[in-house]
Amino acid sequence: MKVARIKVICLSLLLFMGALMLNQCTESGQPSMPETVDFNFHIRPILVKNCYLCHGPDPSSRQGNLRLDTFEGATSAGESGLTAIVPGRPKKSEVIRRIMNHNPDDVMPPPESKLTLTEREKKLLEKWIEDGAEWKPHWAFIPPKEPDVPEVSNVEEINNEVDAFVLKKLEENGLEPLDKAGKNTLIRRLSYILTGLPPSVEDVEKFITDSSPDAYEKLVDHYLSSPQFGEHWARHWMDVARYAETKGHEFDYQITGAWRYRDYLIRALNDDVPYDQLVREQLAGDLLAKPRWNKETGINESILGTAFFTLSEGTHSPVDIRKDEADRIDNMIDVTTKTFQALTVSCSRCHDHKFDPIPTADYYSMYGVMESSRFAPRLANLTFQQVEDIQSLQKTQEHIRKKLAKRWIGKEVDNENDTSSPEQPTHGQSSEDYKILGDFRGSSLDDWKSDGFAFGNNSTLGEPVLSRDGNKVMRLAEGKASSLRFGEGVPGALRSSNFIIDHDFIGIRARGKKSTIRVIIDNFQLIQHPIYGDLMQEVKKETWHHYKIDVSKWKGHKAYVEILPGTYKKHEYSLPEGAYIEAEYALVFNGGWKSIPEPKGSSELNLNNAVRDWVANKGSADQIRLINQKLKQGALSIGIPEIRELYKQRDVVKKNFDGAAYFMGVADGFGINSPIFVRGSHQNISENLMPRAFLSALPAEDTIFQSSGSGREELAEAIVSEKNPLTSRVIVNRIWHHLFGRGIVETVDNFGLQGKIPTHPELLDYLAIKFRKDGWSVKNMIKYIVMSQSFQRVVEGNEELQKNDPQNLWLAHFPVRRIQAESIRDAILAVSGNLDSTMYGESVPIHLTDFMTGRGRPAQSGPLDGNGRRSIYVEVRRNFLSPMMLAFDRPIPFSTFGKRNVTNVPAQSLFLMNDPFIIHQAELMGQEVIKQDLSMEDRVQWIYMKTLSRAATEEEIAGAKDFLIQQAGTYQISEEEMLHDPKVWKDYCHAVFNLKEFIYLI
Amino acid sequence: MGKSKHHIHRPLSRREMLGICKTGFGSLAFLSLFGSMPKSKTEEFKRLMQHVPHHMPKVKSVVFLYMDGGVSQVDSFDPKPRLDKENGEDPNKKFKVDDTQFGNVGKILKSPWKFKQYGECGMPVSELFPHIGSCVDDIALVRSMVSDFPEHTNANYFLHTGSGIQGRPSMGAWVTYGLGSENQNLPGYVVLNGGLVPPGGLDNFNSGFLPASFQASVLKAGKVPLPNIKPFEETQELQDQKLAFINQMDNSLLGSLGHADAIESAISNYELAYRMQSSIPELTEFSSETKETQKLYGMMSDDPYTRSYGAQCLLARRLVERGVRFIELTCPSVKGDRWDQHSELKDGHERNAHAVDQPIAGLIKDLKRRGLLNETLIVWMGEFGRTPFAQGTDGRDHNPSAFSMWMAGGGIKGGTIYGKTDDYGYRVIENKTTIHDIHATMLHLLGIDHERLTFHFGGRDVRLTDVHGHLIKDILT
Repeated sequence: MKVARIKVICLSLLLFMGALMLNQCTESGQPSMPETVDFNFHIRPILVKNCYLCHGPDPSSRQGNLRLDTFEGATSAGESGLTAIVPGRPKKSEVIRRIMNHNPDDVMPPPESKLTLTEREKKLLEKWIEDGAEWKPHWAFIPPKEPDVPEVSNVEEINNEVDAFVLKKLEENGLEPLDKAGKNTLIRRLSYILTGLPPSVEDVEKFITDSSPDAYEKLVDHYLSSPQFGEHWARHWMDVARYAETKGHEFDYQITGAWRYRDYLIRALNDDVPYDQLVREQLAGDLLAKPRWNKETGINESILGTAFFTLSEGTHSPVDIRKDEADRIDNMIDVTTKTFQALTVSCSRCHDHKFDPIPTADYYSMYGVMESSRFAPRLANLTFQQVEDIQSLQKTQEHIRKKLAKRWIGKEVDNENDTSSPEQPTHGQSSEDYKILGDFRGSSLDDWKSDGFAFGNNSTLGEPVLSRDGNKVMRLAEGKASSLRFGEGVPGALRSSNFIIDHDFIGIRARGKKSTIRVIIDNFQLIQHPIYGDLMQEVKKETWHHYKIDVSKWKGHKAYVEILPGTYKKHEYSLPEGAYIEAEYALVFNGGWKSIPEPKGSSELNLNNAVRDWVANKGSADQIRLINQKLKQGALSIGIPEIRELYKQRDVVKKNFDGAAYFMGVADGFGINSPIFVRGSHQNISENLMPRAFLSALPAEDTIFQSSGSGREELAEAIVSEKNPLTSRVIVNRIWHHLFGRGIVETVDNFGLQGKIPTHPELLDYLAIKFRKDGWSVKNMIKYIVMSQSFQRVVEGNEELQKNDPQNLWLAHFPVRRIQAESIRDAILAVSGNLDSTMYGESVPIHLTDFMTGRGRPAQSGPLDGNGRRSIYVEVRRNFLSPMMLAFDRPIPFSTFGKRNVTNVPAQSLFLMNDPFIIHQAELMGQEVIKQDLSMEDRVQWIYMKTLSRAATEEEIAGAKDFLIQQAGTYQISEEEMLHDPKVWKDYCHAVFNLKEFIYLI
Repeated sequence: MGKSKHHIHRPLSRREMLGICKTGFGSLAFLSLFGSMPKSKTEEFKRLMQHVPHHMPKVKSVVFLYMDGGVSQVDSFDPKPRLDKENGEDPNKKFKVDDTQFGNVGKILKSPWKFKQYGECGMPVSELFPHIGSCVDDIALVRSMVSDFPEHTNANYFLHTGSGIQGRPSMGAWVTYGLGSENQNLPGYVVLNGGLVPPGGLDNFNSGFLPASFQASVLKAGKVPLPNIKPFEETQELQDQKLAFINQMDNSLLGSLGHADAIESAISNYELAYRMQSSIPELTEFSSETKETQKLYGMMSDDPYTRSYGAQCLLARRLVERGVRFIELTCPSVKGDRWDQHSELKDGHERNAHAVDQPIAGLIKDLKRRGLLNETLIVWMGEFGRTPFAQGTDGRDHNPSAFSMWMAGGGIKGGTIYGKTDDYGYRVIENKTTIHDIHATMLHLLGIDHERLTFHFGGRDVRLTDVHGHLIKDILT
């Protein structure tokens, strides 16, 4: 009977489990009761685990109208007249009665929850109530306070405050710190942890022989200032930013220029850009009044940070587009809040957070911020010079107008005292059959947003049209939005405000070449057949044409119109030579096309007024016509030498943009406040709109954002605000995690109530405050921590430590750590001599094995060895992730992963044993070995130094020789021939790649 | 494996056992699974393993026959005579037509195939599946499936992971996480790649936020079924000597370190990898299978796709025999397309059906005669169904509002028909069944309560079934 057999297995399994549990309890015993019971460290974890699902912040799942997450809730009389917690009176407290109860109908937690309190937990609760039931806010929401540095007895063990805090905890736990590690260990540890690469043989030799007292510090400085530092630490950040270069789903479309974000991170880390600046840039780098210009290349770095939002997955044909938007925004909220605040705000999408004080209203306050941001191709290499050149061109344009005006009306035109009113915009004008979205025939862009430079700040109305020889004004131009505002090749886009589709068609009167009109519905970008194809129209007619887009299927949806020079091919944007687009107006309508009358000016039509308004860029079409009449009559002088200057400047501007490159970033839209989606459903929304704001549980300057745009700047400011209790703790904890392999708060992405509590809370606060004081310098913080003795201890444990601190929580020694996936590959390339240290640039295509198939597969595989480039430069395609990286626990890029798993799967061993990449590198290294004019012993030493950064012991040399001879014997190669035979040495190098010591830091 | 004498076939040391105990690793089954759990997860795992299995399992393994692209329900298991009557009429005049993927709504389209009643239960099955028809008394048919997504990738992720978004753990990963594997030499979750990786890619089979130990091993036909499974050394002796040397060096390192669980696990990992080098190729070696068996699976067919899918099904049986927990078969790449017939329905569905019909029936019959069917669950389904009206003139578009699926095997009430669609087979009108319900039922049969198989991620105890899922009790014995 098969089934019976399964039963037996299950039973014995349970018994075995039981034995394990029992064993565990008798082995390590229970920790003793603390002197004072602290709410945050002792009580709240019990309540979170056992009570909050039914008695927590979320009213939708609350039972018996009792909440235990607030003092008021827990201490006021409930429906039954009983009080859950009576401070100082455990016997009167219903909580104690219930947890001590054995009656299944009465006991809490109830039996069906499968939760039980341990005796210790019951005692803790009792003692805490007896002591007065002091309630505190969750530790992470209390701003860090500068703690006193503890005094400890072993002063010789102290390099800096880190050690004092660590030693204090060791003392409290009755543990002794172990010794300092040897120099070989230290240099290997530093090199891998700071740069992700093995130390060079020269560096090892130099460090070993350097007996100066600051030898270690010099080494730290050396690695922190090496360019490889940024390459390694950028990868840590890419894990939290769910970095990928394609969008996954069916066809795995490219995310334009995603790799530029990777390069941005590397440069920023190497330049030690202050962390608060990096926060601002990633959330609002497109909006900063003073962007960060790269000192060498002159490019605007800040804007590149906004790729942070656009690295998400995406599908090209969601049938329910609003739901798709909600999912995309959910990912943005999830990643943003985990990354910067270590909070899981996206848990509040459908109901108030079950554990943390994050109501659903907060989620939709942030939803509005994301909903008001628009994904857009942005210039990736904008320089300060380009901006200046455009500005001087603009000045020349103004100057010409002023000068002409002076001649035309015989006096200086004073813009300041201008009294005329601009033309009445037709914007919003409507009849039953149509509504105008934007009319550009007046002087303005009718409140559309002009991003980049192409469209400037106003229409072309009144712009002097010059003669071919370039020294005469022929006439003044009619009004239109034009991407040629500053000449050809200048990138930019014009976007309407949001509107709700309530007509069958959207129409745009436009002309141009190699350009695009798109209707973006619910922020959906991946416009593609079969469903959405018609929402994007290529503009290729150079005569005025009525572009008509059928949107009848999407009535009731939110949309905006985008007009831009250049085209999207498979969702990759480019601006080809000769591309331009001009538009007169845009409207929504039913039935046939509607011609819209020109906007009318209101001032009296005379030349003086006309010229005055024209100079102020407020002229109406009528006024410009009047001036044109006079020009035609020859009544006005038209020759002006500055025109030559204008031509020159235009050439400069055009040339400036020759090498323009793009990436998918963010442009600000118009502020939208979102309703709450009841139980997460967009089909069931609240009447009230949630103002865009920061999390209500965190103190901030202004909770409600005032910006007319998205409010991302305010979001960034609320995060870096001095009042924010999380930001600096979260980042120093991430740094600590990467240095020690485990954070002070182990759950690096979750500081909420379900996260782990810090092992060294005072140290965490000390570091958080110091970090801010030191100007948010990541490098300084790293240096500070690695200079501590706590970082420099040996890894070898002992029986006693194994017994008393098996998880090494108190850091008596350094943990044994596996180097991360990228470092394993990079190290193999480095030691085999095949590492190409070229930095930056487009990714090396991923190598495709026969196992990597499916839609969206690139036509060509990338090189097996990734051209020898560091792993960070190898492409990350969502649907074709590197099997080696996956096997060695690089996270799948869909959410924030500040902490990688460290698993042990046979795919890892099989990779190191049999993968063609490994074999090839072993072969190359073997060939290198036989070129060395060294004895067998010295060759082994040579290999040891390269791969393990230490000398081999005699035993190891003997072992190596035995192995080499054994392999040679099997190959039937004599011992003399052996020195010149690459096969044997390939085998040996291959074996060394497989040594645990090679991929672990010990 | 004769030359593995250099190898480390040592039992667990006392210290290892203690280490396991202290760090809370759960069960023997888990030990045989690949690798170790990150320490942060051990608490959770301990909690989990106290209860798994939650109840008496009915089956040990699942074979998931994934019908990529979406089989048309009205042409396979859900006959609709009304379509014959109203063939060529405008569907908009009959019922409200939802937005479809291609928006190219044609006329009502009758099925090109006739239905016939099979077995003692008399379940009607179309001409597409005569062999499966002969197994209906073992099959419980669900005619009332719905999905949340009408496009392939979201629907595929949803079917495989319970979420329409990329990157979540696949059902096979959840099962292996919950139960481990019964075989020390094989992975617990295997995907047999018949030629078509479904839209959405290999992420359909990943472990998401679960540790990498639970991701699928994707096996493909041919001499090298799994990456890196073939030693590159010219002779086994050369590799054995090398591995022995590595082992010797590693063990001496371990001795010098005192305690290093991570290193110990990494060392024993090589042992498993080594064994896999022979256990995996041995799997695909069919010489021990009789001609008769191979014929049963359609491996003698004139149709190359029937032959290749037959080999997949036979391989699935061999994996079941070896205690692999979760086996998914993807479709062969038949000429044209998978089941996704937006046009030329007749040709496309016929080709696809011909490729899988005989092999699937062969698998059911072979498992049955070996006494394995009652401890195996076979699940047959696609990501959604198809419209009862045409796309263009001769295709059918996606329909997430109604489709059919079936299960067979342990705990399944054979010959049952569950759920009902309207007269057109367009919408479900009785016993609406979700993907979550299928997941819940599947886990239930494996002895797992879907509400209690959780993993803490992103601030929540996440489940395969999210906050949904009900057992389909009516199809269970």
